[in-house]
Amino acid sequence: MNKQIEFTLNGKSVSREVPTHRLLLDLLRDEIGMTGTKEGCGTGDCGACTVLLDGKPVNSCLVLSGELDGADIVTIEGLRIGPELHPVQQAFVQDGGAQCGYCTPGMLMMSKALLDENPNPTDEEIRYALSGNLCRCTGYAKIVEAVKDAATIIRNG
Amino acid sequence: MAELTVIGKPVTRVDANEKVTGQIIYGYDLALPNMLYGKTLFSPKAHAKIKKIDTTKAKALPGVVAVVTGADAPWTHGEAVKDKPFLAQGKVRYIGEPVAAVAAEDEDIAQAAVKLIKVEYEDLPVYIDPEEACKPGCMEIHEDYDSYRKANFMVRGAAPNIAEHFKLRTGDVAKGFAESDLVLDEKYFVPIIQHAAMEPHSAHAQWDKNSGRLTIWVANDAPFRALHEISEALGMEKEKIRFINPAQGGGFGSKGGLKCEPIAVALAFHTNGRPVRVKFNREETFISTLTRHAATVYSKTGVKKDGTLVAREMTIYWDAGAYAEKSPTVCIRGSLPAPGPYRIPHVKVDGYAVYTNKPVAGSYRGYGIPQGAWAGEQQMDELARKLGIDPIDIRMKNIFVEGDMSYWGEQLHAVGLKETLIKATEAIEYGKRSSINKPGVKIGKGFACIQKPTRSPTTSNAGVTVNAQGEVTVFAGTVEIGQGCNTILSQVAAEELRVPMNKVRIHQLDTDVIPYDASTTSSRSTYHMGNAVRGASIHAREQIMEAAAPMLEVGTRDLSVADGKVFAKDQPQQALPIGEVVKRKLGINGIVRGDASYTYEIGKDLDLETGHSDHASAFYMYATQAAEVAVDEESGRIRVLRMSAAHDVGKAINPLNCAAQIEGGVVMGIGSAIHEELVIDNTGKVRNPSFLDYHLVTSLDCPEMIPIIVECAEPEGPYGAKGLGEPGLAPTPAAIGNAVADATGVRIYDLPLKPENVFWALQKNKKSAA
Repeated sequence: MNKQIEFTLNGKSVSREVPTHRLLLDLLRDEIGMTGTKEGCGTGDCGACTVLLDGKPVNSCLVLSGELDGADIVTIEGLRIGPELHPVQQAFVQDGGAQCGYCTPGMLMMSKALLDENPNPTDEEIRYALSGNLCRCTGYAKIVEAVKDAATIIRNG
Repeated sequence: MAELTVIGKPVTRVDANEKVTGQIIYGYDLALPNMLYGKTLFSPKAHAKIKKIDTTKAKALPGVVAVVTGADAPWTHGEAVKDKPFLAQGKVRYIGEPVAAVAAEDEDIAQAAVKLIKVEYEDLPVYIDPEEACKPGCMEIHEDYDSYRKANFMVRGAAPNIAEHFKLRTGDVAKGFAESDLVLDEKYFVPIIQHAAMEPHSAHAQWDKNSGRLTIWVANDAPFRALHEISEALGMEKEKIRFINPAQGGGFGSKGGLKCEPIAVALAFHTNGRPVRVKFNREETFISTLTRHAATVYSKTGVKKDGTLVAREMTIYWDAGAYAEKSPTVCIRGSLPAPGPYRIPHVKVDGYAVYTNKPVAGSYRGYGIPQGAWAGEQQMDELARKLGIDPIDIRMKNIFVEGDMSYWGEQLHAVGLKETLIKATEAIEYGKRSSINKPGVKIGKGFACIQKPTRSPTTSNAGVTVNAQGEVTVFAGTVEIGQGCNTILSQVAAEELRVPMNKVRIHQLDTDVIPYDASTTSSRSTYHMGNAVRGASIHAREQIMEAAAPMLEVGTRDLSVADGKVFAKDQPQQALPIGEVVKRKLGINGIVRGDASYTYEIGKDLDLETGHSDHASAFYMYATQAAEVAVDEESGRIRVLRMSAAHDVGKAINPLNCAAQIEGGVVMGIGSAIHEELVIDNTGKVRNPSFLDYHLVTSLDCPEMIPIIVECAEPEGPYGAKGLGEPGLAPTPAAIGNAVADATGVRIYDLPLKPENVFWALQKNKKSAA
């Protein structure tokens, strides 16, 4: 079944007819053609497809397009503000938070969601927030360091 | 040249920006114009004859363009043994084997069509345990094995289903055991695990009937080898085949051979020139692609009272799964150094790669080293404990040092092992009791040492261009799989041409333009490709200096390069930017190109009867890791508190990247030690093909990590560098196993150290003590 929906994607309004069962992940990647959001498992277990839905982090592989009417969605493509990298992006570059980079978009969106809520997280709070985002390359140490550094960059504004 | 400017510096990754913005396109992201969607039918049977395949209904479904089976793709491939069909031919050998495939206008149609394919099977005996599968009287899983095309180093085992038998014979182990004061004979087990790279597998293929060209887009870390395999299988000239690499989201050994590629190729011949995308989802990746070998290791070691090693005999069964893939070379390169980095006069090793009806095992970061170390390094601790010797002392007595003759007949050089042992154990205060005192929790420390060879001999070629704008492009066939090679190779070019890092770009990997490289495997790239890129950069620099000499009116010998400029040594103020030199010589669109090739020349080939070789590896990587663990006696849960990892890298081209590789390796090693096991039941079915049930280490499971870089320079390596990618996880499980034994007094022989396994081991020990 198709449904006409209107939503905001990275600050721009989008209006389209979508099959209601189409996953948000597939809508973004296959229909809109924005592949920055990654598919790692398709079953909500790895966090690679994390996007912000109305400001909250969600696995986009667990959201149906039919639910999206009126939603505000931010993906990795909308994280950067103008030409400048977002502080979490800057910190991931500086600290070596990305290796193969496949989990990175999801990690960054989850990190942004954490820092929006908690501008000064402890190591434990960062590790807890990122515990649903799997990474097979880094061993997480440099990611945790990057999120802490991002918090500092943001606080020092 | 003068002192190093960028080699040895912790520069940030050159690919970081495109990764943090989501701009980089991975294989799984790629969409091609007019593309069709491929879906695969996988075998539900572990071992069965295919009686009949009916594709009529699938072909009739609107939107279906092609349906193919083994009959349409009568080809086989494999690294050492050409035993694997593109799609099953006549029989299936594991649950998850590709049987048929569909190309359709969209993914939903392709999936629906796959469900309409009917296959009739006739069951055959299923072999799950490799030691059972090679008993006399067992049916051959590959009944035509002897007629397969295979590599000349293969030795067929005497029993059924043995794909490869590796033998190492040094001295006389019977005599050695007779002369020993203590002999230990134990059995260790390492289960199947999976690479679980975050990007699942996919491949795109297009065949142009008119030109006869076949193009394959795939995140494959050995595209030249894959090209060769496809060419050999199809009987198609290499010139007709082109591989293009989109970005790769991890690999760890899983993406080197052919996985989705043969299916995409088989379909592409039937789509009238339209490209086909074949993607595996996570579950399909788990059941159908590749695993790490389970290994059963029988280890018998004889030792003198003072701890001097006398004899070691190991028998290792490598569970190859249904097809040989890289099992023969894992069996050889994993079995050869399994007795450990020690002087041992009498050594006997028998490695058997055995076919079973399970998913295919192949290369996995570490290539057989973790399995041998899990047995050998725990047994070292057991010997020490029984002799009342400190585990450090027993190793120090026997450990390889500069100039030692190894038990495989090679004299060793650039051996930084001892330093890794000292530094790793010091970092966790090994020998000092922990101050943590919690009821029901036991704290212990342990460590393990490894040596790892690299695939030899192999070749890397590289080209380096400098244009009239002073921009440098590197043409190198090393695949950026996350390990950081694009940064390392940029540093090498920047160093030799004395240009800033932001002037260097790595060309996308395309076999039509990039010169041959053996593979991005075996921790070989920094050494081999590093040498090739260095040579090509020097070649380009020499051409620029030759061109600059008349411009500056001095001889080339009086010229120097720094900060991207060429100048006469005595007149540095009259410097010419290197781009300016190219422009004056060749015009605004001029390009200077340097080329170089590096091949490590091997000495004698491995002797098939003794396993001896006077130069088995271009270099050896040495490492020691040490763990401090807490064991909860009530639940059996293990927590790794601290993990130090000291790695002899020869020379750290980029210390930041070295630390990143070590940390990632350690955490992967912790996963294989405590969390991970691909559970396969006695029908051959994978029971946990999801991240919900197959537990990767999360951000909450990591210990404090102490990466330590040791630099024992390798004279042949670029700037002294060896390799680092694989050893990061190799000693980890054995170090943790030794720490658990130190904490509890109980030796656990089987991985993984899951809570229930640890709990029952502790209970069993309590009972036997009572």
